[in-house]
Amino acid sequence: MAAARTPLERTESVLIGSALILMVIITLQPMLNLFAVSLSDPAQIVGMDGLTIIPRGLSTQVWQLLLTHPAVLTGIGNSAIITIGGTILNVLCTALMAWALARKSLPGRRLIFILVLITIVFAPGIIPDYFLNKRLGLLNTNWSVIFYHLVDAWYLIILVRFFEEIPEELLEAAELDGANAFQTFWHVALPLARPALATITLFYFVFHWNEFFRAMIYLTDQSKWPLQVVLRQFVVEGDKLAIVGVTNSNNYTGASQISVRALNSGMVLLTIVPILAIYPLILRFFTRGAMAGAVKG
Amino acid sequence: MAVTGSNPAAQSAGPGNVPNSQGAQVSLSRERPGNSRAILGFSRWFPFYVMLAPGLIFFVIFHYVPIWEAQIAFEQVRIIPPNIWVGLKNFQMLFGSVVFWQVMANTIIISAMKMAFVFPVPIVVALLLNELRSARFRQSIQSVLYLPHFLGWVVISAIFIAQLSPSDGAVNDVLKLVGLKPISFMTEPNWIRWILVISENWRSAGWDSLLYMAAIIGIDQTLYEAAEIDGANRWQKIWHVTLPGIVPTIATLFILNCGMFLNADLDQVINMQNDAVISQIDIIDTYVYRIGLTAGQFSLATAAGLFKAVLGMGLILAAHVISKRLTGKGVW
Repeated sequence: MAAARTPLERTESVLIGSALILMVIITLQPMLNLFAVSLSDPAQIVGMDGLTIIPRGLSTQVWQLLLTHPAVLTGIGNSAIITIGGTILNVLCTALMAWALARKSLPGRRLIFILVLITIVFAPGIIPDYFLNKRLGLLNTNWSVIFYHLVDAWYLIILVRFFEEIPEELLEAAELDGANAFQTFWHVALPLARPALATITLFYFVFHWNEFFRAMIYLTDQSKWPLQVVLRQFVVEGDKLAIVGVTNSNNYTGASQISVRALNSGMVLLTIVPILAIYPLILRFFTRGAMAGAVKG
Repeated sequence: MAVTGSNPAAQSAGPGNVPNSQGAQVSLSRERPGNSRAILGFSRWFPFYVMLAPGLIFFVIFHYVPIWEAQIAFEQVRIIPPNIWVGLKNFQMLFGSVVFWQVMANTIIISAMKMAFVFPVPIVVALLLNELRSARFRQSIQSVLYLPHFLGWVVISAIFIAQLSPSDGAVNDVLKLVGLKPISFMTEPNWIRWILVISENWRSAGWDSLLYMAAIIGIDQTLYEAAEIDGANRWQKIWHVTLPGIVPTIATLFILNCGMFLNADLDQVINMQNDAVISQIDIIDTYVYRIGLTAGQFSLATAAGLFKAVLGMGLILAAHVISKRLTGKGVW
């Protein structure tokens, strides 16, 4: 395998490795910097540069404040409900629909596929969607951000293909054992599709956690805001009152000394935490799945 | 770019296939020989229609009812219903507006910039990754580079605002170190489109390289051995073996991106917008949102949205046909 490597080749390898390591640094450094700022002593933050990844002094004030702040806690709660509830409904509805559509002789199958594909090609935009939600009375309810994307057309198609691979004999065997269609779905189809389902679950999870635009327009009541909308209000819109305003009241003694920059940093990181938590799973399921698929094809 | 979620490489057996009518049907008729065919079919398929129901109802209500709702593009909205049918008047107003054409131009410019400066980057990343000999080193790098793809645009925007800050952001710290003046990137009209390009790369260059990595793994290893025997060096092997090996993937993704040309990522743009730069990065989607939901011109906004939807449909159908003809694989 390894032919004798010339010095030139070795230099090239070092350059290629360095380029990739530089990309890794550019990817991670901003997050590490935010982490350092969020843990720094408030008195020393002014003048702290954007390059450092080591906290100056050490203070958990920012995190204590964020994790006890009503607006943040409500945001976490709302995001959790939307993400967990939404993901469960997504996966269930997508899997059921895919399982039915994987029956090749199902009457009307072709028509339903066309119906689904049209939705990929043509979407009339946000205003009609908004009016639909208004008409259904979904505005300012968590349903509005769950229902509009209940079944992802792409994931559906991927899952149908996956289910189609399950040999017909397995299903007939289950039928002979007296299993009805739902039992076959639950005991045969779902276990066999576990890797595909895991991937789709993770992607729906990420989708819901990162949901922002629909949440912003459908959930106008501040008590309904998921964390992303709270973050936007605070950091992107620069609406410091969203958090700092409350902290200046006597609920939080000494909170007025907390730097806004440190709060920003903590808030951004807090919003990333669930993604970091499931990221190892994403790496395990998705990258392996994609690689396996490529080798097979 | 816009390959999130979609899986263009995967191929549908879907609507093109004629359903085969044997199989389960046969096994059932064995069980209940007396029943008429229609009843048999119904009881056989009923559970599957129950399974289909939630998803199907969702598609009809949340994708087809809005198409019907979109008729307000042809109406004048009145406070007391019913609305008045005004035909194409809203569209005439839209096409007569200077702002709309500026917004169209912004959308096209931003998409074109991403096509030129975002689309090729993951290819380069994949080629570089493929040159690493140590699989463990490569996997560690990959596992870091994929991460930003899973962050929402609010988060990425917040990170960029922090790191591009003229006072204490990392980029300007570097500029100051080499003796340059700090730049207020986020509020500088000449920079903001490039910030869209750079942040898109930051987010997806790693992740999008995955599809190319998968294609590279599929390349026949004997081709490399043959090239080595012919005395090819590293770059010649990349140029003559690896690149040709992933050209079909490049072509498929390029065509798909052309089909998505008008989707200049709403979440990204809306989180990078501010009053200083909005004229540069106001795109169709943000325009529809602004004039519709914040200014209350529902009919005009819906007209703009419909116009984009129709153009977009044309693009994606064209992409599908071209892709099918060139690579044998459609967009779905």
